[in-house]
Amino acid sequence: MTEVLQATKSALLRLSPVGATLWIIRIGIIALLLWGVVGSIIANRYSAAQWGDFVVFGLAIGSIYALVALGYTMVYGVLRLINFCHGDIFMFGAFSAYFAAAPLARAGTLEEDPVLGLAAIFAVAMGISAGLALLVERVAYRPFRHVQSLAPLICAIGASFVIQQSARGLFGSTVKAYPEISWLQGDFSVLSWAVPKLQAIVFLAAVTVMLLLYLVVMRSKLGRAMRALAEDRDAAALMGIDIDRVIVFTFLLGGLTAGVAGVLYALIFTQVHFFMGFVPGIKAFCAAVLGGIGNIPGAMLGGLFLGTVESLGPALVLEGLNIPAPYQLRDAIAFVLLVLVLIFRPSGFLGERIQRRA
Amino acid sequence: MSFEIVTTSFRAKVRRRSLPGLALACGAITAISACYVCLMGLAVMFNDRWIVSGVLSLGQLLVGMLPLACGCYLAVRASGRSARQILFAAAVAGTLAGGGLVALLLLGETTALRTIFVNASPALRKFLSFGLGPGLASLVLCSGAALLALSGAALCLARKRLRSALVAGFGTCLSVGLLQDLLRIFLDGEGLPKALREHLFDWQGLTWFAAIEFFAAAFLLRWIWPQLSQRLDTVAARRGSGFRRALRWGLIVASIAFVLLLPVLGGAFLGQVMMLVALFILMGLGLNIEVGLAGLLDLGFVAFFAIGAYVVALTTANSEFAVAALPFWLALPLAAIVAAAAGLLFGLPVLRVRGDYLAVATLGLGEIVRLLVISDTLKPLIGGAQGILGVPKPTLAGMTLASPSHLVYLSLAACLLVAYCAWRLQGSRIGRAWIALREDEDAAQALGLNLVGIKLLAYGLGAAFAGIAGGIFATMVGSVFPHSFQLIISINVLALIILGGLGSIPGVIVGALALVGMPELLREFGEFRFLFYGLVLVIMMRFRAEGLWPSRASRRSSAILEEPG
Amino acid sequence: MQTKGRSIVAAIAGAVGFAAAAMHIESSVAETRGPVTDPVGVVEIDKGEPLQIGVYQVLSGPDTANGVDQKRAIEIAFAERDNILVGHPVLLHIEDSQCTPEGGQTAATKLAAISDLVIVLGPSCSSEATAGAPILWNAGIPSIGTSTSAPRLTAPERGLEFAGFLRTSYNDNDVGSSAADWAYNVLGVRRATTIHDGSVYTEQLANVFAEQFTALGGTITSREAVSPTDSDMRPVLTRIAADAPELIFYPVFVNAAGHITRQAKEIDGLEETQLLGSDAVFTREMIVAAGRAVVGFSFVANALEPDALGEGYPAFVERYKQTYGEAPIQGSHHQAYDAASIAIAAIEKAAVTNDEGDTYIGRQALLDALYATRDHKGLTGILSCTEHGDCGHFNFAVYEFTNSDPESFSPGVNPKKVYP
Repeated sequence: MTEVLQATKSALLRLSPVGATLWIIRIGIIALLLWGVVGSIIANRYSAAQWGDFVVFGLAIGSIYALVALGYTMVYGVLRLINFCHGDIFMFGAFSAYFAAAPLARAGTLEEDPVLGLAAIFAVAMGISAGLALLVERVAYRPFRHVQSLAPLICAIGASFVIQQSARGLFGSTVKAYPEISWLQGDFSVLSWAVPKLQAIVFLAAVTVMLLLYLVVMRSKLGRAMRALAEDRDAAALMGIDIDRVIVFTFLLGGLTAGVAGVLYALIFTQVHFFMGFVPGIKAFCAAVLGGIGNIPGAMLGGLFLGTVESLGPALVLEGLNIPAPYQLRDAIAFVLLVLVLIFRPSGFLGERIQRRA
Repeated sequence: MSFEIVTTSFRAKVRRRSLPGLALACGAITAISACYVCLMGLAVMFNDRWIVSGVLSLGQLLVGMLPLACGCYLAVRASGRSARQILFAAAVAGTLAGGGLVALLLLGETTALRTIFVNASPALRKFLSFGLGPGLASLVLCSGAALLALSGAALCLARKRLRSALVAGFGTCLSVGLLQDLLRIFLDGEGLPKALREHLFDWQGLTWFAAIEFFAAAFLLRWIWPQLSQRLDTVAARRGSGFRRALRWGLIVASIAFVLLLPVLGGAFLGQVMMLVALFILMGLGLNIEVGLAGLLDLGFVAFFAIGAYVVALTTANSEFAVAALPFWLALPLAAIVAAAAGLLFGLPVLRVRGDYLAVATLGLGEIVRLLVISDTLKPLIGGAQGILGVPKPTLAGMTLASPSHLVYLSLAACLLVAYCAWRLQGSRIGRAWIALREDEDAAQALGLNLVGIKLLAYGLGAAFAGIAGGIFATMVGSVFPHSFQLIISINVLALIILGGLGSIPGVIVGALALVGMPELLREFGEFRFLFYGLVLVIMMRFRAEGLWPSRASRRSSAILEEPG
Repeated sequence: MQTKGRSIVAAIAGAVGFAAAAMHIESSVAETRGPVTDPVGVVEIDKGEPLQIGVYQVLSGPDTANGVDQKRAIEIAFAERDNILVGHPVLLHIEDSQCTPEGGQTAATKLAAISDLVIVLGPSCSSEATAGAPILWNAGIPSIGTSTSAPRLTAPERGLEFAGFLRTSYNDNDVGSSAADWAYNVLGVRRATTIHDGSVYTEQLANVFAEQFTALGGTITSREAVSPTDSDMRPVLTRIAADAPELIFYPVFVNAAGHITRQAKEIDGLEETQLLGSDAVFTREMIVAAGRAVVGFSFVANALEPDALGEGYPAFVERYKQTYGEAPIQGSHHQAYDAASIAIAAIEKAAVTNDEGDTYIGRQALLDALYATRDHKGLTGILSCTEHGDCGHFNFAVYEFTNSDPESFSPGVNPKKVYP
């Protein structure tokens, strides 16, 4: 007993003010969480089916976050840079594909041959997103290739605004709605549980894209080159890898995934709007950090986790804390998670330790 | 991460490209840019604002600048070639650019371009075709663009003296045309003869003879400038250094007097604009400490501004949420202290975070504060979306500082105080510690610097300055609504310190004048404000990363890099 | 050293002294110009000179669509008369007020500094008017708010500085309480939920509705809020569904309203729930945003009288489409048009033109003419201004969308009036 006391006492004495603060934060967060969860469970407001619904909705939006996060994570892994305008590239792809979707709907192709119609829409979105990503790379990242600094980040912030406002100026500030595709409506029944078809397809699509990406990065030659660049850029150059080409390829992959994410988002939420990419973009970055930046399965995991927590959190925790209108603070959850992860586990769930302890 | 290396625009690589390829590429890019400007609605919207009444509108200027810049760029890039080759290449590029606009015009006439691009309107077609038929309009566009490109190339090929004189002439003409609102108010208000104002401006813009007069005056002045300055130098050399020093001090005193008198002479609107500029200078000085000196990119800066405003509102307002009834002069320091405490609180969780992560983490923290302030959760305490009304104006010696013309002196005084603090901090041990932190965090720690203390101090001081700005803002507007504290303000402050030059105090002032002052004067184009900020960020980081008025350290390192050998 | 210090001190002292001596607040004083004497001031417009009118709306940021829409409506109001008023061409000074109080203050200060500015139309946000209207009236310029609906702006205790402020937008109090009355008495619901998006307008409406509904005896099961940029409304709708309300009142703007309307159909427990919005969604864009789910969606709005509708509104929409390439993009454009219309009528009444063609307008006379507006035919109905500046004609009505084809948008048909 006295040894335990002695050990605790010496541990406390060795604690710096910063360490003490971190412990206070840890204990505080856990206390709040417990209080909230207990409060919600006692209130017993939701049925099991409704809790299930929260999770399903969370997984659906989480899949979108995951797809966008994949783009962030790849670019960061290779370039050590956050592509701040990735969210807006996602928006632009979705928006441009609308101009393919609307005529197709009018011509009836989406009803007669939905697969072909969808393929065309995806192709347009992926093409435009990829093109835009390459343009951003050329303008905002290539000049800063040889310096490690904040300049590309600031340039990307500027590019993000330019893309957003260009979408507003070119296409108008009103909302555009994707046509509804009857093939995608309805429910699947999984274990006597009705899962909306669309959400399930989005989830499956996200998983498929992730697997494809994983295969490309792990098995193909360019993927190997990407990993080499991520390890040590100069050594990779010395090994004969064409850095420019690999970086362009990385951005290309990121743009393609953003295009896919854009169309899926538009299919679920139907509305596209010039401001729709900014907030999902930041949240997707939080998701990428949660999962471990530079890590592809990590991005997937982080996205799904973030989506679920966002959907479930206000009902589960905030309501128990008696916070009125808890869903108004929904965006704050993503940021709180980000800050917590950066304090306590900067490498994320699946990432390697990239920051040493102070 | 080394800041020095990025904050210069020195480029070592010079690639030599073939002239035809260069011309075609330039022409294509110009064509795309011109179409972009038209389809964004910038051309038609700016067309309503005349610079020279009936002759040149802002829209025409915007579209016309593009081939001009193209020609100039060609001349600079192909500087080894003969003049005739360059001029020919410029003509080709210009024609290509004009062709792009022609294609846009024809597409607009024939297809339903408007279903995709909302601005492909009849007004745009009229703008592009000058009211002529399509064939004639195409000819005019192509030849016009070619001529502009030729003039651009000729301008850049001309001798330095001629070029700078021409640029000065056009620049003066354009500035007077753009600032006509301000000048009109000034001319109207000062009891100057109405005839003068009528000679210079009609209801829409500069009259064309006034334009010619301004152009001629500026041109001549710039032309004889070398001789004039030589004359001044010889006079100064003869009279000795005392004369020169007296001249310099005279200039400084005159400019101080000018700035102090400006709100009185220029009216309430100019006072209001100066106030906003002063508030952004305050915030810029704060962020300058965090980003420019200490290298901690903080995108959640607006949160401290909000905290300062709310503290002043909650302690002085005549409202049900008020916590106390302090006079403004007590509430303001309190706002600074509370904001500094908030800065420390923000800094604690992100102490170990660096670089890009720090940017997004601080952005998240700023957004958390914004969401909390607007939320129903804190509504009983701070008013929620309905805000806090009834913040009184400060009283000094029985006189209420009610109008912007009075409050502006308060903010100027605050600016001076804060700038002095920032200047002294920069040169002190703490300032050097921050710079060491920015250059290489690990080396700084290895040298024995207490990183935690330094970082927290940077956050705290930056936040305190923003808190002061927030306090003055609350009393200036008289009410505090949470919708005033969006992310765009943080981006705005970041953009202005980058524009001015990181780590440089005069740079903050230049940046604030450019990014806050100018848009206030071009307010009807508020739709494009965010586009403007984005473009400024991209262009500045690409072409002149050290800013418009770089700090002495940046200038020194640029000089070193540019030395031969 | 000493001379330098002394000269600086002298310069600063001189400047301060000059400034102190010159410190006076610009304000209007009684004056006589030409044939007109007025206690507040007189605007003089010489022959051939333009008649200057100010406009300040939100033209940047998330609410851009609202302000741009209203600015365009004002421009159309004058374009319909070929931009001529009392024999002078009309010059519009347009300012962006950013839907923030400091934006409103700056815009109003700039407009107030223009000599001989007759009247100002705007702003769009109540927070802008709180800061801007007093500045304008201090310079003798009346202003007509176009979508400023906060009750305190025309409350009897609003203060003398707001004496120059009128508005054509309705009062939030009227809308919210009428909606609650209708829900309780006509629809017969006893359990309702409100959703707002954190903006001044929507929160006010939701609060007024909730208070009145509770006062009548109903139960508000929960008062929710979302962010205007949220797109995934399913979790918050699931939360609402747990309490089984009979009605959800969400006076939010088109983006959020579209998402809520669409997604409510997918939530178990909300199939029978009535969805109710406010007239922020009285625009074609709502049909686009909500798609098929818009059928059966109702909202409370100002009744657009049949004869005003028949005369003015379709023609207005056509002209809008011709000029700007899209149909009106938000729900307040008719109020802006009516503000311009009232202003035109008042100016015509108060202006005095002498034989040479110079026009004189007394500022107090203009304000009196504005307050004296009675039975004016506008796009939103027959308008009369109260003594506190409420010109907004509020005839409570409930509209319901009937068709999900955006081309079928036609006020009165789709959406059709279901009450009264």
